[in-house]
Parts: sequence; C-alpha cells; structure tokens
Amino acid sequence: MGLRDVVKKAVFVDILRGMSVTGTYFVADKVTVEYPKEKLQTYPRFRGAQALLTDPATGDTKCVACMLCATVCPSQCISIVGEQTTDGRSRPATFDLDLSRCIFCGLCEEVCPMAAIVMTRVYELATYDKNDFFLTKEWLVANQVNAHQELFARPADGER
Amino acid sequence: MSDPVAQLVFLIIKAVLMPVVIVLMVAFIIFFERKFAGFFQGRVGPTYLGPWGSFQSFGDIIKLLSKEDLIPSRADKPVFRLAPYIIFIPAFLVMAVLPFGPVGGEPNLFGYRFDYVIANFDAGLVLFLALGAISVYGVVLAGWSSNSNFSLLGGLRAGAQMISYELAMGFSVVGVMLMANSMSLVDIVNGQSGNFWNWYFIPQVVGGLIFFIATLAELNRTPFDLAEAEQELVAGYLTEYSGMRFGLFFFAEYVNLVVVSGILSTLYLGGWRAPLEVLDFIPGPIWLFAKICALVFLYMWVRWTIFRYRYNQLMSVGWKVLLPLSIVNLVVTAIVVSVVG
Repeated sequence: MGLRDVVKKAVFVDILRGMSVTGTYFVADKVTVEYPKEKLQTYPRFRGAQALLTDPATGDTKCVACMLCATVCPSQCISIVGEQTTDGRSRPATFDLDLSRCIFCGLCEEVCPMAAIVMTRVYELATYDKNDFFLTKEWLVANQVNAHQELFARPADGER
Repeated sequence: MSDPVAQLVFLIIKAVLMPVVIVLMVAFIIFFERKFAGFFQGRVGPTYLGPWGSFQSFGDIIKLLSKEDLIPSRADKPVFRLAPYIIFIPAFLVMAVLPFGPVGGEPNLFGYRFDYVIANFDAGLVLFLALGAISVYGVVLAGWSSNSNFSLLGGLRAGAQMISYELAMGFSVVGVMLMANSMSLVDIVNGQSGNFWNWYFIPQVVGGLIFFIATLAELNRTPFDLAEAEQELVAGYLTEYSGMRFGLFFFAEYVNLVVVSGILSTLYLGGWRAPLEVLDFIPGPIWLFAKICALVFLYMWVRWTIFRYRYNQLMSVGWKVLLPLSIVNLVVTAIVVSVVG
C-alpha cells in the first residue's frame, strides 16, 4: 500500500465519493411508480389478454372459425366451435379461451388470417375465482375496447 | 417546598419525561430510517399510513404485538427471555448521565435550581462505556440461547466485534477526558463553552472519527452489521426471535442510536451548547436535539451507502488501524495537555 492509498483512506476519499452518490439520489426525483394509484402506459406491442375484433360495418366478429389459432396455440388453450350463417359465411358459435393456460406468446394473433384475434393492453387479470380465467366469446368481443388502435386498421391476409 | 424535595420532584419529572421523549423520537427515527433508506436508493419509502407515511412505526408496533411469540423448543428459555432486556435496559440507563442543558448555578425555575441532567454523575463517561459493554452480553446470550446455527454465529461475531471496537472507543474517549480534566459529561460540555471552534472535535479530530467508526460497530449498523448479516446469517442473533421480543431488540437498537448520537455530540460537538455564543438564547435541549438529529441522519447516510465489511477486514481495521491510532491520539493528547495546560 503506497503513501497515496494511505492518504486516500485516511481522508475517506472513496467513502465520501460513495456518500455523494447516495446523497444525489436522496434529492433526485424518485423512480417509484406507486402502482395502484398510478399506472404505466403499456407499449403498443404489449401482449395482454386477447380480444376478438368485430367488423365495424356489420358488427359481426371478423373471425371465420378457421381454427388456425387453436391449432398453433402451444398450450392449446383455445377451443372454437364453428357454424354457418344463412348467407354461407362461417363464424364461431363459441370461442373459449382458458387464460390460466395461456402463455401470452401472441402466436394466435400472428397466425390469424383475418386479423381477428389480437393481444390487448389488459394485464390486471388477478382474480379470486379460477372460473374468471375461462374467457368466452362475449368477454373477448367486449375486450376489444382495450385493443391497440392500430390493430383495428390491420388488413386481413386476403386484402394485402 | 424545601430544596431537596423540589429536587426530588424535578428528578421524577425528568426521569419520566426523558424516556418518553426518547421513545417518541425513536418511533419517528424508525420511520425516517425507512423513508431515507428509500430516498438514498431512489425510492419513495413508506407512504400509506398517515401523512407522508409518518405513522409507519406505529403500524409496525401493532403488527409486532399481534404476532405469535414463538420460543424454540430447544432454546434455553430463561436466557432467551432475558436477553432482550439486557440490551434494552442499558440503552435507557445511559440517558441518565446525558446533560441536555445547563447544570448548577443560580435558581432558574420558580426559585429552585433545575439541573438539565438526571444524574450529575462524576464518572458518567465510564458508565456509558460500561453499559455499552453490558449490552454485548444481551447479543451473545440471545445468540447462544436460541440454539440455532445462525444465531450462534451472529452472537459470536457480535461478541468479537463489539469487544475489539470497545477498546478503540475507550482509548479515543480518554483524549476527551484529558482535555476536560473530568469524566463527568457535565464537565465535558462545560469545557467546550464558547463558539464552535472551542468544541473538542477540532483538537480531537482523530479521536472523534475513531469514536464515530467504533460506535458504528457498537450499534451493529452497516458497514459493521456482521452480527445480523441478513444475506449470510438470516438475521444473526435475532433469527429465532419473533413478535414483540424481536421488537424489543429492534427498539433498543434505535434507542442506542439516539443515545450514542447524544454522547457523540456531548463529547465532541459541544453537547447542548449553541455553535455561536450569539445563538445562546435558544435553549440547550433544542440544540442537543438538533445535533442528535443531524448525527442520526449521518448514521443513516453511512448505513445506506457503505456495504458490509468482511469479517477479517473488520477485525484488521479494528485491531491494526483504529486501536494503534487511538493510542497515538491518546499519547499526543496527553503530551499536549501536560505541556500546554
């Protein structure tokens, strides 16, 4: 240990430098977001609970019950029963999504040819009842208010 | 009312008021410790209970009181029960010798003389050192009686650490004793009368720093909190304690913090005296309070800045640096005092 180090230790150079750092933090603005009172804005590509988009013209779901999302889903949490409308168009009679099994990978959104199923910004999904995780078609359609606005304008595969 | 009776009444009033004041201070110091811990780390600390979160420590007390008082089945039960009090009581006893205003002189209250100290004890400094040494027993016995590996290791560490730092602390204090020519805290404050450049921290700067570092070890605060090192020893000697017994330890730790800050300001920073004589119109207790608050803030600042020393570093700092330095400080002070004074 040279003389320089001895002097540095005797006048507590390093400790005072450290204390100046903590002192700076003491007076600086705090980084805490007090969660229930204030919430962070999620990013556009945030993957929260899914929503089914409806066609603004007809009011019916964009989904044509092609089963691609149910097939691609790694945790197999989507189950769809399709039906035919009178004008020959196919649509889901039921569209059930078990959120307790969903891993929020977003593959269903990517694979959907009609751009019908999207991930939303909803992340406060804690509940006291496991049955609340079983999302029905009605819930998913109602959830589209939380979908990112850009996703509404996204064209289906055939229109590109 | 004759004078001895009046003195007895004053004594009872002081002996009741002083612990109450300290207990209230401690309650808020615990809150400020948590608040400032947040601030030093860029967080906001407790915010929910009361304005600005300031009733947090009362919430803590209610929580601790409502918890189950668990005693391990293989613990040494009488010692386990006794240990918190061995720490708690000496912490309060030191307050008796701490002067918080002028002592002696003319009658100043309703024609009677009111001494701003509970016990004007000739060897007050020795009493402080002795009671500090007794509280080591509390830590060691708590560690031993818990019958747990973590507690035993924490108790052993605390014992070794406190004993080795007590030496340096004792030697650094002797410098002040020599300068004041007394071991009474009242006389030591009287020896620092005048403006702040008459305070002992200027001639005794080395001793003061050694005393400060040694009290960090004595108070078991970071960077010398090896006895309760959370990461390695869970909570050291506190591991098996729960409920209000844990609360007593926790509380005693902060009472000690206040008392040691008071002793430190009395020995080196002029005690209850104003920094400038023109400010003497502000009463002594307020100055002592301000100095204690400033020192407690300094202790918190150090705690949340410096990380824990390794055990061998702690020992080598204590025995190879602080002890020789404090002896050199003592010798130089003795020579200077005998030549000049």
